[in-house]
Amino acid sequence: MTGRSILKLILVVFVTLLVQSTIGVDITIFGAHPDLMLLLPIAAGIAGDAEEGAVMGFVAGLAADLLLPTPFGLSALVFCLVGFAVGASTGAVTREVWWFPPLVALAASAVAVMLYAVIGAVLGQEQFLRVDLAGIVAVVAIVNAILAAPAVRMVGWVLGPASGDGARPSMAGGRW
Amino acid sequence: MAKPRRSRRTLTTLVVLVLLSVTIITLDASGKGHSLTSGIKSVATDVFSPFRSGFNDIIDPIGEFFAGAVHYGALEQENHKLQAQNGALRQQAAQASAQKHQLTQLQKVLALNTLPAPVQTLPKVAAETIATTTSNFASTITINKGRSQGIVVGDAVISNGGLVGRVIQASHSTATVQLLTDGQFKVGIVYGNDQFATLQGQGAGKPLALNDVSPNTKITKKTALVTNGLAGAQFPRNIPVARITSIHTVSGATQKDVLAEPLADLGTLTYVQVVQWSPSPTGAPTGHAPTT
Repeated sequence: MTGRSILKLILVVFVTLLVQSTIGVDITIFGAHPDLMLLLPIAAGIAGDAEEGAVMGFVAGLAADLLLPTPFGLSALVFCLVGFAVGASTGAVTREVWWFPPLVALAASAVAVMLYAVIGAVLGQEQFLRVDLAGIVAVVAIVNAILAAPAVRMVGWVLGPASGDGARPSMAGGRW
Repeated sequence: MAKPRRSRRTLTTLVVLVLLSVTIITLDASGKGHSLTSGIKSVATDVFSPFRSGFNDIIDPIGEFFAGAVHYGALEQENHKLQAQNGALRQQAAQASAQKHQLTQLQKVLALNTLPAPVQTLPKVAAETIATTTSNFASTITINKGRSQGIVVGDAVISNGGLVGRVIQASHSTATVQLLTDGQFKVGIVYGNDQFATLQGQGAGKPLALNDVSPNTKITKKTALVTNGLAGAQFPRNIPVARITSIHTVSGATQKDVLAEPLADLGTLTYVQVVQWSPSPTGAPTGHAPTT
């Protein structure tokens, strides 16, 4: 991983966190906020591969956890699982159609919110299952679906162009 | 051969990241580890706050511009009316209105001087709400006072009407307050003739649940619930908390199904007061010294 790539990653995570903690929390639809940080690993899974999705998920989740009152590390865990799952499950699918990123973001966001609630409950935060989960799932999934295309473009800038053999150098190490 | 190696490495990366996350979660859940993660969160909040504040200063006018564009028709009509008025007087009126609103809020906060004597004598820090809840899974507010003003984790927060919540995180200049509607919030209360129970939050917008009320207990709607201040309690005693709104007795149940609403208006928490109180083994009110 080059210094420039690390700087790009930090910049994108920082800016997204800034937007989430200012505009994101100000937007309340049916009592729920959008979750823009969750969009980063999903976009990394779409623009890159499973490994890049997982690494982006861990970094974005940890950054989000810094400002959340919920258990530290919970977002990192859920986001890295979701980023990995998106990258792994969409690897063999053609990604050129316009509706692909919104559709994946919609489904992955819905799964991520439910996973977050369930793991949170397992970790002793039973109230995570008492909230209006359907409302949160709907708001987060729809907003992320709308913003998926620009998010994939932004994360693609972080990941860099694919190499000649079609495989992009990994975020986790090697040439990237 | 390259593909299996790559997929093996991908899996290894995932396992490492998951283990790292689980380790961090475990650390956060343990006593000593929690102070470490709280410290990291506190430093991060201190570092991030100026950026957030600066970004808000930039986007607020833009947001107002777009709000104006959305309500263009109404604004145009309003503008015609306003043109007939003197600009200076208009500004004065706007200022007076804002100040009046602030005054009303502050008067409500000051009205808490009618609190029972033990609470009145405790040191308090007035604070302004600068952000509402940041998570979809927690009910919190952020206030503009922190450790430098003597606020520590565990301090009770009160406002117009009564208890608002508890400080769960304090950075140098801000603090996060867990509201009493949060699902993790619990407070020991007393009502009626020295009857004790536990009041628990059930999530934003939902009523509070009163636990440990036996079916034989005499309890009526509108009964006021105040903090009990028992030994080891997290709050000083006699702070008004909530009022009972519904009582249901299910036959065969071991306790009554009692719901209550907060006395404080959690929807308009512009100003709050942080009570600097540390729990004592005897339950006696004890102020804590401001820390820097």
